[in-house]
This record gives sequence, structure tokens and C-alpha cells, in this order.
Amino acid sequence: MCIKQSKMRKSNLIIAFLMISCIINAQEKGFKEISNAEKVKTELARLTENTKTIQSLFVQEKHLSFLSENIISKGEFLFRSPNQLRWEYSEPFEYIIVFNDKNILIKDENKISTFDTESNKMFSEINNMMIGTIQGNLFADNERFDAKYFENSTQYLLELEPKLPEMKSMLKKILIYIDKSDISVSKIKMIESSDDYTSIEFVNRKLNQEIGNDRFIVK
Amino acid sequence: MSLPTKNQLSNLLYLFRNTEYHCVFHKKKLVCNSILSYALFFIIIIAPSCSNPYKSLPKTELQPGQIKEVPYALPFSENAFIYKTDMTFYKNEISGLLIIKKTDENIYRIALTTQFGLKIFDFELNNGKLKVEYCVEYLNKSLILKTFESDFNLLLLQNRFDKLLVIENPETKQKIWQFIDGKYNYNYIENVNSASIENIYLKKRNSEKIRVGLDNHKNDIPGNILLEHQNIKLKMNLKRIQ
Repeated sequence: MCIKQSKMRKSNLIIAFLMISCIINAQEKGFKEISNAEKVKTELARLTENTKTIQSLFVQEKHLSFLSENIISKGEFLFRSPNQLRWEYSEPFEYIIVFNDKNILIKDENKISTFDTESNKMFSEINNMMIGTIQGNLFADNERFDAKYFENSTQYLLELEPKLPEMKSMLKKILIYIDKSDISVSKIKMIESSDDYTSIEFVNRKLNQEIGNDRFIVK
Repeated sequence: MSLPTKNQLSNLLYLFRNTEYHCVFHKKKLVCNSILSYALFFIIIIAPSCSNPYKSLPKTELQPGQIKEVPYALPFSENAFIYKTDMTFYKNEISGLLIIKKTDENIYRIALTTQFGLKIFDFELNNGKLKVEYCVEYLNKSLILKTFESDFNLLLLQNRFDKLLVIENPETKQKIWQFIDGKYNYNYIENVNSASIENIYLKKRNSEKIRVGLDNHKNDIPGNILLEHQNIKLKMNLKRIQ
């Protein structure tokens, strides 16, 4: 009897411990799920309308389970509505990738390559995902993603789960952190099925400042 | 005497076929005979000398445990290495970061990610056997995976071998660390002056299959690695960033 009771106590303790750790885990992020998603969607629609240009520095972190330290890359990011992007990596080496309408230009060690998004499916997906994330229309894409909405006092967190098999095989989830103050994307986290992830944090963001055409050309 | 290689045999067959044609239609027996004698000369004299360039050089057989004497730290270091990578595979160009980490004795993780961080492949090389943790669909084909397996085995000195020889060539100031496994041999060529491995060759019955050039060494770790296949269109260009 005593043994049975102590076993029960033990199992109760384990269940309680698991429940507490789950709660702590959810609280660790500090975000709680938003029940009224429609209100947030309207709020986020401002993201698309308000964001004409973005100029920002970025810090990219790649986490691989078998490495003790993340791999850090840094650079400058530019966006101009509706479909121009420039990622200029300065660390660990110089590399520029420009998405300009249907063209992709890459400069790697003074070698310039040009691709067409329509002929390259992978680049086309990356292009759609990046522009969709920045502009905010990715979370309205019900055909390709299931979206969940969370918030804390300063940020919205959107959790996107890919629906299409080819996207699903690459990514388990995309997390988009949006600052409530100016409704702009401050961080993107792409989580792979293995739980390895890439996070890109946008720092010193400047919204809606003039960016010249020459920044979306590679020379 | 070594047997002629497949290429040498096909050259000979071609020679014989042409000879036959020559004999039947032109009846020039003298020419025919001289070509046959040339072929015989080729088999006896040239073929063996081509097959083993190190034959006359002094060689010492080493114990398998002496593998760590090869001045090539990439397989032995506990640190993670990151190389900027450009890979050309037939018409595909793949670029990103190649990460190599020794996780245990003779066990390595090898991952390639794009600039944006997404993984292209993630392999474990365990005692020479490649296990796929993740691989994009277009590369996840058994023939391609076999090719990666032999490439990374060569780069990380994980080839199975029956015999390890060290051959000294004072004329070229080279020391050849030769790993022999039946019809395969793996040659790690050390420049005696710099004490660095500057070339690696994988040969099958003395026909070269993979050639690797290594330079810009720091602490026996190559800064640049260029790996080229001789029979398929696959090239890997690696530049160390960490």
C-alpha cells in the first residue's frame, strides 16, 4: 500500500513537473496566443501599406545542433516596394544578392551572375518568401501557410507552418517578430524539421527613406 | 609487372581494329607488323612504367596507427571548420558554407548551407559510411550520395586501406603517403619544403578518378581546396573562413 502510494506520489510529481516545465517553456518566450486574429490581421495590413522602403543592418545566426557556437553573418538589407530586395553580406565574406522584379543578381568575389526567378524554382520560392515576410502578405497566404498569432507587450509574433510538401520538407516553421511601435519586422526565424534554425535580426531599421535605383543593380 | 589499365586496353583494341582494317583492305603487311610490334612494345615497356611512377623510389611500410604522421590536420582536429563553397555539378551551381566537425573518433558531421542559412545537405560520415541526416531532393540520389561519400572520405582520410606506404622522391622534393585498398590507391603528396599536403589523388587501377589541390595552409589545415572529378562533371572549390 505504502509502496503504491509513494509510486502514485512520484507519478503525480512527474506530471506536475512536466506541466510546470511546459508552462515555463511557453512563458519563456513571453508571448501568448491571440484569440481574435481578425483584429491583428487588420493591424498588420498596415505593414504592407506603410512599408514603402526599409533600410537596415542585419545579423544572421545559423544554429546547427552539432556545433557549440552559432555561425554569425552580418550585412545590410534594403527593400523597396513592391518587389526589390538587396542583401549585402559583409561578414564572414562579401556576397551580394539582389532580387529586382523577376531578376536575381548575385555578386560573389567579383563574379556577377544573373538568374530569372521564373526559370529557377528555388530562387523564386526564396524571393516570394522574403518579400512576403517583409511586406506582410505571407501570413495572409492561406493556401501555403497555417498562421497562428501571438503577442507580448511590445511585439506580435506570427507562427507560419508551411502546407506545401516541397516547402514542408525544407522548413517546419517560420516565426516573424513584428514591433508594435512601427509595425515593422524586427526578426525572422526559420526552423527546419531537425530543429536547426536560421534567425535574421534587423537592427537600426529606417523606414520609408529614399533608396536610389542604383542600389538594386550589381556592378 | 602491372596489367594495362582499361584505358590502355581500349587504346590497344582501337589500334588492333585499325590494324586489321589496314591489313584487309590494303594488304600492307609490313605496316601491319610494325604497328603490332609497337603495340607489343607498349604492353611490355611503356604500360608498366606508366602504371607506377613511384616504383623505383624507396618506400617504407607504416603501421595503420601511424596515419597521424601525415601532415594533414583536417581529419584529426577537434575544431569545426567552415569553408565558403562553390560546387559545380553538371549544369548546377551550388554555393554556400560547408561545415565540417569531428564529433568522435572517425565520425564527422558535414553540412552545406546556403547564404541564407537553409541546409542543402547534412551528412554523418561514420567510419567511412555516409548517413544522410538531411538532403535536398535534387541531390538525394544514391549515385550522387556515393560520390559525396568518396569525396569526403578522401578529404577526411577515412578511406579503408590494407597497406600504408610512405615513398620519398628526393628529385621532386615530395613525400608520397600512399594508402592501398585492392584496386584503389589514395596518394597524399607532401611538399617536403613546406611540410604540407599539396595534392591528393584517388586512383583506380592507376587511372586517376579524383584530383585535389590544397594550398594556403595554416597549422596543417588547408585554406583552399579544389576537388575535381576526372570522369564526371563535379568540382568543389572550398575557401576556409573559420
